[in-house]
Amino acid sequence: MDFQKLAEAVVEGNVKKVKGLTEKLLSEGIRPDIILNEGLLKGMQKVSDRYKEKDFYIPEVLLSSRAMQAGFHIIKPLIEDNSTSALPHKVVIGTVAGDLHDIGKNLVSLMLKSRGFHVIDLGIDVPPEDFVEAVKKHQPDILAMSSLLTTTLAIIPETIRLLKKEKYRDKVKIMVGGAPVTKDYARAVGSDGYAHDAINAVVVALDLVKS
Amino acid sequence: MRSRSNFKANASTMLSVLSDRQCEEIVMAAEEVLERTGVTVYDDEALETLKKHGCWIDGNRVRIPTALVERCLRSAPTRVTLCNSRTGSRDVLLQGNNAYFGSGSDTPYTIDPYTGERKRATKESVGWACKVLDALPNIDFVMSLGIVQDVPLLISDRHQFEVQVLNTGKPIVTTAHDIYGFADIIEMCEIIAGGEEELRRNPFMTLYAEPISPLQHAWEAASKLVLAAKKGLPVVYTPCVMAGGTVPSTMAGVLVNGLAESLSGLVINQCTREGSPFIMGGVFTIMDMGTTIFSYGSPEFNLLMAALADLAHYLKIPMFGTAGCTDSCVVDEQAGIEAAISIAMTAMSGPNLNHDVGYIEYGSTSSLEMLVLCDELIGMARRLTRGIEVNENTLALDVIHDAGPGGHFLTQKHTFDNFKKEIYKNRLFDHQHYEPWKEKVNRPITETARLKAIDIIENYEPEPLPKDVQKKIREVVERAEKRAEL
Repeated sequence: MDFQKLAEAVVEGNVKKVKGLTEKLLSEGIRPDIILNEGLLKGMQKVSDRYKEKDFYIPEVLLSSRAMQAGFHIIKPLIEDNSTSALPHKVVIGTVAGDLHDIGKNLVSLMLKSRGFHVIDLGIDVPPEDFVEAVKKHQPDILAMSSLLTTTLAIIPETIRLLKKEKYRDKVKIMVGGAPVTKDYARAVGSDGYAHDAINAVVVALDLVKS
Repeated sequence: MRSRSNFKANASTMLSVLSDRQCEEIVMAAEEVLERTGVTVYDDEALETLKKHGCWIDGNRVRIPTALVERCLRSAPTRVTLCNSRTGSRDVLLQGNNAYFGSGSDTPYTIDPYTGERKRATKESVGWACKVLDALPNIDFVMSLGIVQDVPLLISDRHQFEVQVLNTGKPIVTTAHDIYGFADIIEMCEIIAGGEEELRRNPFMTLYAEPISPLQHAWEAASKLVLAAKKGLPVVYTPCVMAGGTVPSTMAGVLVNGLAESLSGLVINQCTREGSPFIMGGVFTIMDMGTTIFSYGSPEFNLLMAALADLAHYLKIPMFGTAGCTDSCVVDEQAGIEAAISIAMTAMSGPNLNHDVGYIEYGSTSSLEMLVLCDELIGMARRLTRGIEVNENTLALDVIHDAGPGGHFLTQKHTFDNFKKEIYKNRLFDHQHYEPWKEKVNRPITETARLKAIDIIENYEPEPLPKDVQKKIREVVERAEKRAEL
């Protein structure tokens, strides 16, 4: 019953309620990973559904995401102490070199976090070498690259080539996005996934880690 | 804001064609026409009344002294309210620059939403249209979108009103063949309202009547003005003038001639009973000199309608306007463009009761596809009209500072608190990315509109009238049928 209330509070974007309910569940001895999966993430799933039905708009999705993360902040240290990893999936994300546009990348990053991904955000203007370095260091499930300018698009295949050369391409799934990127382009450069917006990026990411 | 002395703001986007002095000149010119040229009136009771009030009568020719016109302008109410017949809610306040939108009435043809075929309008097609009108959020009032032609012609107006009022609670602007048809329709309305006084206090129906240009009030029209006044019910009196054909080709001349027709109608109405609610109006447009059509989409049509709005505001008389229509014979790019211009200009110039939304083929055919498209255009036009609010909250200095260079506003509370109020939510028009569009939509917007109309016809149920009321209305229709057979 309280899980449902927690999920509803996430949908409402009510930070205070989410914090209160998360603490209440913890004090009742519920395992933090169960609170995350049955409450917080269930709520975000509902938010995502309502966005798809055109019932929610981006600011409402983000408000919910903020509420979810307020709850997550409370249980995060407990999950990390626990040997059962509740955040099994890691994503390295960044905007490619030469490009300072990051609103889309930030949105994807936020959405991934709110759906339970562990996100390592490299920021903007990231050269291929830094992407590859981060893949080696963090060993993520997914590398996500964003580009808004047509002039910086070419950095994406360049990074993929470098990953191949360093023999890391097979160890990571690659997602690409940004205004000039299309499904065809994503396929042509040898990436594994593409979504046209941040909400769908999560769907694609969930698919990629499943496969 | 600490202080904003002498601060003036535009609370809306502004559109006006005529200055007050230009309005004054046109009104005085129309008054001169009424004194010098006069009008013809083909109703004995109206002639008698006009004579009693000091008009100069010569057979059917009536010349009206300016003092009488000015007295009638003062006695007519500056505002008229129309209600929802189901809830009684006083939804449509015809006053000032309030702009409301609704459909048109008597097209011989309609486009079948299922087959795309152009066919004669029927009781069923009018019922469908009224359902769609009732469901669309930006439509404020209803006209039939077709002449019911599958019932006996003599009493088809009773059937037309019956099928309208069964399928919508929104206020109805209705036509009637003559005062006998009008009397039956009033009776149906009194049954629904629960009495004569109840209907007068909360009218949900107004009659539509029109003079014949130039400067003629036929018996059908004049007698309706008289009956509406006696009943204390609102009447729309709407000259339909064509520049170069029934009125001069100069735009100012169109306005003078059309206004003279409106004002003489007003005089007949007010002399019958002072203070009767009267709505001036029209379709002021050109005759297309290539094809002779009465144009519903020319630039002059839009210009004249906005100018007439200025005149109505100057005179402080509620106005019946025209928008959301096209000369195009199909719902195509021309239809969309002509409707968009007229709806946007109408929303901004602010005539009050704006009809003919959903007309194609220069007003000869109605289309539900067109109607659904126009509903979206009205929503957009209302956003345009709302203008830009400038105050401490909307200037947003704190949030600009908080986000800073390179930040973003998507997660700011300020964005969340304001975006719904500021940003229009499209209901119909497509704003998808290419790939999901290609996958799930992949059709022109006209097709989306058609499917939406069909969805409403099949799945929407308007609030019904109580069973006993439906039965009593039916009895009025059947009584008229029996009388017609004799």
